[in-house]
Amino acid sequence: MRQPAMPIRSPFESSIAKPGQGTVVLSLLPPNNPTLTTLTYKYPLKLVPRSGGFTPSPESSSLSESCPSRPVHLYLLTYGGGLLPGDHIEVSIKLDPRTRMVVTTPQGSTKIFKTEPGNSDCPNVIKGHRKQMPANPHLSDMSQQSLDVKIGRQAALCYLPDPSVPFQNSRYAQVQTFTVDAAAKGDQRSSLCVLDWVTQGRTSRGENWNFRFWRGRNEIWATNEITGKSRLLLRDSVILDDETDDLNDSDESNEDMPSQAGLLPLNIIQERTRPHGVVGTLILSGPVFESLGSYLLDQFTSQPRIGSRNWSSESSSAPESSPGMKGDVTWTAARVRAGFVLVKFGAKDFETAKLWLGGLLREEGTIVREFGEEALFCL
Amino acid sequence: MVLDPSEIQSEIAQLETRLQEMRAQLDASIYPSPPSSYPDNKIPWTMPSSTAFYNNKFRADAVRSSSLHALLLLSDSALPLGSFAYSSGLESYLAHNKPLRTNPVTSFHRFLKLSIASLASTSLPYVLAGYRQPEDLETLDNDLDASTPCIVAQRASVAQGRALMGVWERAFRVSFARPGGTDASADVAVSAIDDFSDALKSTFDNADELGPMGHFAPLWGVVCRAMGLDLQQTAYIFVLNHAKAVLSAAVRASVMGPYQAQNILASQKLQDTIMSRIEREWDTEVDQAGQVVPALDLWVGRHELLYSRIFNS
Repeated sequence: MRQPAMPIRSPFESSIAKPGQGTVVLSLLPPNNPTLTTLTYKYPLKLVPRSGGFTPSPESSSLSESCPSRPVHLYLLTYGGGLLPGDHIEVSIKLDPRTRMVVTTPQGSTKIFKTEPGNSDCPNVIKGHRKQMPANPHLSDMSQQSLDVKIGRQAALCYLPDPSVPFQNSRYAQVQTFTVDAAAKGDQRSSLCVLDWVTQGRTSRGENWNFRFWRGRNEIWATNEITGKSRLLLRDSVILDDETDDLNDSDESNEDMPSQAGLLPLNIIQERTRPHGVVGTLILSGPVFESLGSYLLDQFTSQPRIGSRNWSSESSSAPESSPGMKGDVTWTAARVRAGFVLVKFGAKDFETAKLWLGGLLREEGTIVREFGEEALFCL
Repeated sequence: MVLDPSEIQSEIAQLETRLQEMRAQLDASIYPSPPSSYPDNKIPWTMPSSTAFYNNKFRADAVRSSSLHALLLLSDSALPLGSFAYSSGLESYLAHNKPLRTNPVTSFHRFLKLSIASLASTSLPYVLAGYRQPEDLETLDNDLDASTPCIVAQRASVAQGRALMGVWERAFRVSFARPGGTDASADVAVSAIDDFSDALKSTFDNADELGPMGHFAPLWGVVCRAMGLDLQQTAYIFVLNHAKAVLSAAVRASVMGPYQAQNILASQKLQDTIMSRIEREWDTEVDQAGQVVPALDLWVGRHELLYSRIFNS
């Protein structure tokens, strides 16, 4: 076996990492052999790689001249299939030039478990393993996840996870940062496809946006490795806050009221997301997803005009059948700066959104062609 | 141009009071406390002190030393920013919520509340940052452009921002940017606008689409500082102007009549809403700004899909 360019890190080194931290480096070894040169993670995070599942054929790929490398599939898992209050997940991924990675969440939705109001004890799930929560309940009981991906030139990331499902009274903040190479132009650019969506909670248990706080921030930065300068290309930030902290700050005994106070007209988050049960964002950029972006924009602009009259009585129902035309998904697509295509959607429930988005992505075909059917695992 | 001595003297008196006022402002420029929403505390516009009401004498100095004049200029609905062309998603909201139109006023109240909350969480931090750090104007402009999720909203913000630049350069600058620099706080803002204006013009024809854009919110903060407003006034007037624009759009979209619109505009409820939103976002850093009303992004983005439209956003 050939000695890799970068020595494979000792697996024991992972013990240095803090709980919930994980690091992945994907390099391309000659001639065209993607290899994970670093893979460390620590409880409660688990990262499982799988490669060789799919090879894009040069003739089917839209970027045949760049000779795309095999995508490596990374499963992002947490013990228990979700995040407890106080959990901090920090994943750092580096994709070297011309590599490709698919990231999915095979456990289904990322469950955000509830925060016991004013409870300083550890939640009694998985005895004793999770770290004790610090004293201040307002900051400490927040579950947090950060994902930091550096995407080299001509590299591509396809990240289509399941939605996050915040349970009643949960608090969660997530920051996903993607860094691309600012010097790369044209077909040399990095590509990324990122989905971030959140649902109203467990509908089977009657949850309807009853969590305390959820924030999702996605940032894309362009960094010039020579000058070291960074520039923000895109920031997508959604804050769903029931704003009860403002009211109850002085009155701690009142903390468990909000659940009973569900009889209040509408909680603030319901009011602000109505009539949707799931909202989300899809971000596309780079040469690999160029045609997908254009397709989505075409689908968006060819939606029927709102408020137009249908003058012909026997209208053709043909356009209705297209997946972009489904009436129960409200969505918008725009080509914003630097060639990014940003899709925002709201749908009545998770299944509807999943069918709609999965339908669009399968019909267009780029993702399956470049990354394999398994990239759409969550859709 | 030769001024006669009495004019010069009054000018000097005016400058001196302004200098004192700005020094006082500079001292308080850490802005430790958020604006209070309690009605018994001081409201954000500083009227001449209450003694002016007891003395029957007109105190020109008191009016001059306050930023009343600039405040009125900036809150004027005739300020040529073209705000009347934008409904900030109201038109699209109405089209998307037809069933709610049985009671259009209730439905409108909901929209106004959402719209103000959204503006405060997405744009207000940039206004405050523009005021606090005028020298960062170009970065703020870039970051706001990066955070604007759709073309419709971007167009509206850039058009109004550039209009504000135009008004500043062609009209206000002569009166408010006084060479000689007696007023350090405002001078920082003036030079920041000048630099930004140069950057805007030099990249205007450039194909590089990541040049400065001229977004409204950070520019508003800087221009208000250049015109001597304090930070609380700047924030309040920004949100109030937005409310005025949305109400004006509602009148023209036949949601309500002009008296009803004025009724809402004058109401204590609207004042309280504006105050509480400003208070909430007072210390929000720009990188923490975000959309609190996801549905609004959808309505604004889908404005382009309306069969007929009377507004640009």
